[in-house]
Amino acid sequence: MAEEKIVLGIESTAHTLGFGIVSTTGKILANVNYVYKPKEGGIHPREAAQHHSMHAARGVMEALRRAGISPERIDGVAFSAGPGMGPCLRVGATLARALALKLNKPLLAVNHGVAHIEIGRLVTGARDPVVLYIAGGNTLITAYLDGRYRIFGETLDIAAGNCLDTFGIEAGIGPMPNPEVKAREGRKIHPLPYKVKGMDVSFSGLLTAALKLLKKGIEVEDVCLSITETVYSMLTETLERALAFTEKKEILLVGGLARSIRLRQMIEAMAKLHDAKVYVVPPEYAGDNGAMIAWTGALQLLSGLVIRVEESGVKPKFRIDEVEVKWRNLNGSK
Amino acid sequence: MEEPKRIQVIRIGAEAIVSKLRWNGFDLISKHRVPKPYRIPELDRWIRDKRTIHEAKILVELKRAGVPAPAIILLDRSSSTIYMQYIKGIELKKALHELDPVRIEKIAGKLGEIVGKMHLRRIVHGDLTTSNVILDETEEIYLIDFGLSSVSDDVEELAVDIHLLDRSLESAHHKIRERFMKHFLLGYSKIVGRDRTLEILRKVKEIRMRGRYVKRGG
Repeated sequence: MAEEKIVLGIESTAHTLGFGIVSTTGKILANVNYVYKPKEGGIHPREAAQHHSMHAARGVMEALRRAGISPERIDGVAFSAGPGMGPCLRVGATLARALALKLNKPLLAVNHGVAHIEIGRLVTGARDPVVLYIAGGNTLITAYLDGRYRIFGETLDIAAGNCLDTFGIEAGIGPMPNPEVKAREGRKIHPLPYKVKGMDVSFSGLLTAALKLLKKGIEVEDVCLSITETVYSMLTETLERALAFTEKKEILLVGGLARSIRLRQMIEAMAKLHDAKVYVVPPEYAGDNGAMIAWTGALQLLSGLVIRVEESGVKPKFRIDEVEVKWRNLNGSK
Repeated sequence: MEEPKRIQVIRIGAEAIVSKLRWNGFDLISKHRVPKPYRIPELDRWIRDKRTIHEAKILVELKRAGVPAPAIILLDRSSSTIYMQYIKGIELKKALHELDPVRIEKIAGKLGEIVGKMHLRRIVHGDLTTSNVILDETEEIYLIDFGLSSVSDDVEELAVDIHLLDRSLESAHHKIRERFMKHFLLGYSKIVGRDRTLEILRKVKEIRMRGRYVKRGG
């Protein structure tokens, strides 16, 4: 057994600036996160980047303090290389490069989506699941096959989280979870475009149609019920298709929207039909966070997936299937 | 006349239960869209009924267009069930693991022609994966499961078909993906023309890029 190593991970793809310290055996020593909240509307990349720069130094120190280690104990520095917003990504990448050079330790470029999956597997114990990765900016159905996380389904336009957030903001009730909370008071469901194409989904037409219902004077609770039920039904159905296609027996929900109670209910009901087990990443690790980057960095360190500083540019459109998932062949894990 | 007898459940799919029936000496397929306990009943009924009627209409239209697909025999709206012709063969998904490259090329080309014919009639399959292509003993190709099909003039909708096929190859048969798609597109352009094929391919690329990362708002 190789000696236990410790990795510092930095997350900065969008709202969250996160710092995690995790060991190669999977012990999470620190998970410190600072979330930028726009005064109104959606995220502004430059303002978010500014927020991240402001908290950068403090965050590293706080994470080290909570882990109770000195900087010299760090064996590798990981950062979120993408996908995400350029200005935000560059804050984390710059900090990671500086630390790696200063400490003279390997630099690890982590894919943000892969990190959501890996932290989910670590904390839930799921081994070989079909993964639904749902967040403000992402909607993906993926599973491990022949060395990579292959994408079985995704959104053809906007992300599920984005659809519900935008609806909530436009309706004046605020982003998720508010539309879901309001939906509990809804009584009548109105048909909305239900666009499932194979294992892919499309939400932009549905968003427009839901906003039209509001303008027509339909009760906001009823529209909330209609939009959440439709979005969740679409996600559950595509996930069911992927489960049937891959013939796997585990489902893992990761990303910010994994917090949704109603979606989880639906997916659990679906899984029952297929004798599949559902794992949901706990809230602490559902949204973007530093620990997931540190843990994936640790896995990469174990399998030699390090990067030179000169090649460490950020990748705003980094796809999860670009990553060679070498670590899943290590220690007998599939 | 005897009642149809279920002799085998072929597939308990994500959406429907497909069974093989024996009826007056004929083999039939029944496709029953089952209620989904996870959807609220109103939404569930609406979705199943809409899809059943729609699929039946498409099957009729495909016959007219000369696209090899199961012939429809009976439609039962009350139970969301379609009865149709049984096609004896195996899924392309399974066949691809066994066939040699030359035969794969031939099949890919033929599939391209069939999908081209379908697209000329503005019919979009909607779930064009290697699981939904059947190969019979003579290596004739049939398209099945039009449950998610649509009729559209939109190049984007047609492009989604190609995108889905490509992605099903990428995820389950990535080693032969390129060869397959090359011959598929040759067959396809034979039917719809080179310019139209290029136009659709541009859309496929666009869909791929767009699906990657759209980050707006929360």
